Amino acid sequence: MPYLLKLLIVLTFIIKMLQLLITSPLIAIVVLVVVVGMWKLFKPTVDSPIFQKRVRKFKRLKRGYFSFVFIVTLYILTFLLPFLVTDRALVVYYEKDVNGKMVGEYYFPCVKMYQGKFFNLDGRDKYKSPNYRNLKIKWEKEKSKNWVMLPIYPFSPNELLLLELSNETGKKVKAVKANTALSPEKKTAMLKVLEANRFPPTKPNFKSNILGTDDRGRDVFARLIYGFQISISFALMVTTITYIFGIFIGSLLGYYGGKFDLIMQRFVEIWSTIPFLYTIIIISSILVPNFWLLIGIMCLFKWMGMTYYIRAEFLREKAKDYVSAAISIGASDAKIIFKHILPNALTPVISFAPFSIVANISALVSLDFLGFGLPAPTPSWGELLVQGKANMLSPWLAGAPLGAMFITLMLVTFIGEAVREAFDPKEYSRLR
Amino acid sequence: MRAYFIRRFLLIIPTFIGITLLSFIVMQFVPGGPVEQAIMQIKMGAAMSGEGGATGGNEFGSGNELPEEALKQIREYYGFDKPFYVRYWNWLCNVVPLQMKYPFVKWPNLGTSYKYQEPVWDLFVKRFPISIYFGLVGFTLSYLVCIPLGVFKAIKHGSAFDAMSSMIVFIGYSIPGWAMGVILLVMFGGGSYWSLFPLGGFRPDGWSKAWDAGRYAWCIKMQLWHTVLPVCCYMVGSFATLTVLMKNSLMENLGKDYIRTAFAKGLGEKVVIFKHGLRNSLIPIATGLGHLLSLVIAGSYLIEKVFNIDGIGLLGYTSIVQRDYPVAMGMIVIASLLKLFGNIVSDALYCLIDPRIRFS
Repeated sequence: MPYLLKLLIVLTFIIKMLQLLITSPLIAIVVLVVVVGMWKLFKPTVDSPIFQKRVRKFKRLKRGYFSFVFIVTLYILTFLLPFLVTDRALVVYYEKDVNGKMVGEYYFPCVKMYQGKFFNLDGRDKYKSPNYRNLKIKWEKEKSKNWVMLPIYPFSPNELLLLELSNETGKKVKAVKANTALSPEKKTAMLKVLEANRFPPTKPNFKSNILGTDDRGRDVFARLIYGFQISISFALMVTTITYIFGIFIGSLLGYYGGKFDLIMQRFVEIWSTIPFLYTIIIISSILVPNFWLLIGIMCLFKWMGMTYYIRAEFLREKAKDYVSAAISIGASDAKIIFKHILPNALTPVISFAPFSIVANISALVSLDFLGFGLPAPTPSWGELLVQGKANMLSPWLAGAPLGAMFITLMLVTFIGEAVREAFDPKEYSRLR
Repeated sequence: MRAYFIRRFLLIIPTFIGITLLSFIVMQFVPGGPVEQAIMQIKMGAAMSGEGGATGGNEFGSGNELPEEALKQIREYYGFDKPFYVRYWNWLCNVVPLQMKYPFVKWPNLGTSYKYQEPVWDLFVKRFPISIYFGLVGFTLSYLVCIPLGVFKAIKHGSAFDAMSSMIVFIGYSIPGWAMGVILLVMFGGGSYWSLFPLGGFRPDGWSKAWDAGRYAWCIKMQLWHTVLPVCCYMVGSFATLTVLMKNSLMENLGKDYIRTAFAKGLGEKVVIFKHGLRNSLIPIATGLGHLLSLVIAGSYLIEKVFNIDGIGLLGYTSIVQRDYPVAMGMIVIASLLKLFGNIVSDALYCLIDPRIRFS
């Protein structure tokens, strides 16, 4: 069984990725360009022995290295979220009546949708996807041969739990009311506590919603962990694209210099003085932003930072002897820029990257906080913070995203610190 | 050197025109501008009155379409009857403090706010003190804490204290100030845990009355009470960068030859570090002062939004959201000028403090 499951998970993952790439050619092209571009750009740098030495140094810096391993593992795991944190069951064993004979079969609702009537459910659940948590309880109560295997955390980020919360409280209220052993005062006190949890936002509860629910009755933990994936993907994409663009422009500016440099510098200055968040607010009030549009807008306004560093590096490297040598043997400009100088000018790029990722995650959260980020039902940390500010009496609403953000950003900062120490070491000599 | 700075100052002009022109163009193409808003309002008003007085004798007929005449008047009122380059030219002529008539210098006119029906400059002047107050307090406090901390960390480099404080500094770096503001409000401002501080605002109601009445002690107490949480958020942002900058710069200087010389001629450690080393390592910190004004005035609209402080940042934010173009353009003018001048002032400070540096 576990073997089958593993195979299933891997297969669906591959199919889902392929589906995504085929259905949206634009995304496929962007991903392809980014991957190929990064490979071409960094290949000579990565191969050099000095880079290898720096990597070894980075691995020796335990705090940064472990943060790196931890975050990368967590991020890769988030691609399996549809099998880890979801309201759909992983496996259902269900016996069906076929010509008077009960035939049992395995079903995989996490890959294929089933209507409630398929599992002989009636009423509210007949035509929609059944609530597998309730199905499990029901079958366990009936002691039937059918069973449900739920994922590790059986809630979805966009699933409304209003009915369930209310029903659960109702059951508990009934139990308390029926309990004759309790004194009336104690009963009213207990009922008060229970009633407070009937409507969302409800408190964290280790048996069901470990971080509680938000004000629309959605599970906070599920939203948090899906928000993590979105934030990291967003920051990675924006950082990569802006870096490629910034490196390209910066190297041209630094290499050619002169009038071209002067005019382009003014352009960069104009572009970077336009208040970025104002522009993003204006654009997202015209178009409904989605993930890719938001990445596009961010990239349009964030590429300038890297140009300054690369330009300065190029100005310094250009004066060195190996460049003159390359020019004198008649190498083309493109070859000199990308093959000779760039591998030597990439240090700031590598050592700034983690800090840019921190900045981009914060930027996405603040955009979501202002309401100009990802569209409404998308799970996001900024949206949870808005709810946290609106519902001051439910501290878990603000605490959860802030804690998540804090841990993520701190880990990335640790990585950044270690990377900087490994790649851009400053040897301090002390006399006393 | 003088030629270099004159050229830098002259380059401000094309850059400024570029920034404002680009912003102006962007704003023209945003739907939901003032004209559309006015039309909406009139339609809503017509619909309401139509419901109220069932006689239905209003001049807009069924209230679905405004007559051409009215549309034209609305457009004229907001100046939208002219093409955008004409409007930009008019706007620029109003803003630039030069004129062809006798005194040749005039006070720049940023226009009138659509929403408040007040001159934009007056709106700014009302809010400057609030933003400057928070900005300056946060700025001063962070310098007062960060510089000694950075120096101490540099002296004790590699010690347990250094490692511990580095940890705290990085924790501070990894959390945005406004997000910390939300949790501070929930913890200390709301009813969840402790109700120590107010939920926001600049001052309590009746503050100026109390000030006039001479209850200074109460006023100062209230002001400080409202200041604590926002200033914490303002400080968190610059705390990490400043401390690390100070530490690294002092460490770098302590490894230089002139420090060795100072030690060699028998000076005490304190004199060497504080008189020789510290002076030189303050250079990169001092150049940051060029952007002081820009930081202080532009404020942080996120923090102002979280704490409901009616400062410059919040004004700029709401002006964009509500399409109050004159205010938004005014914000862009002030922010961009401060940034452009700030760059030059930084460089100039650099030259003043460290005469070895030459720009060309």
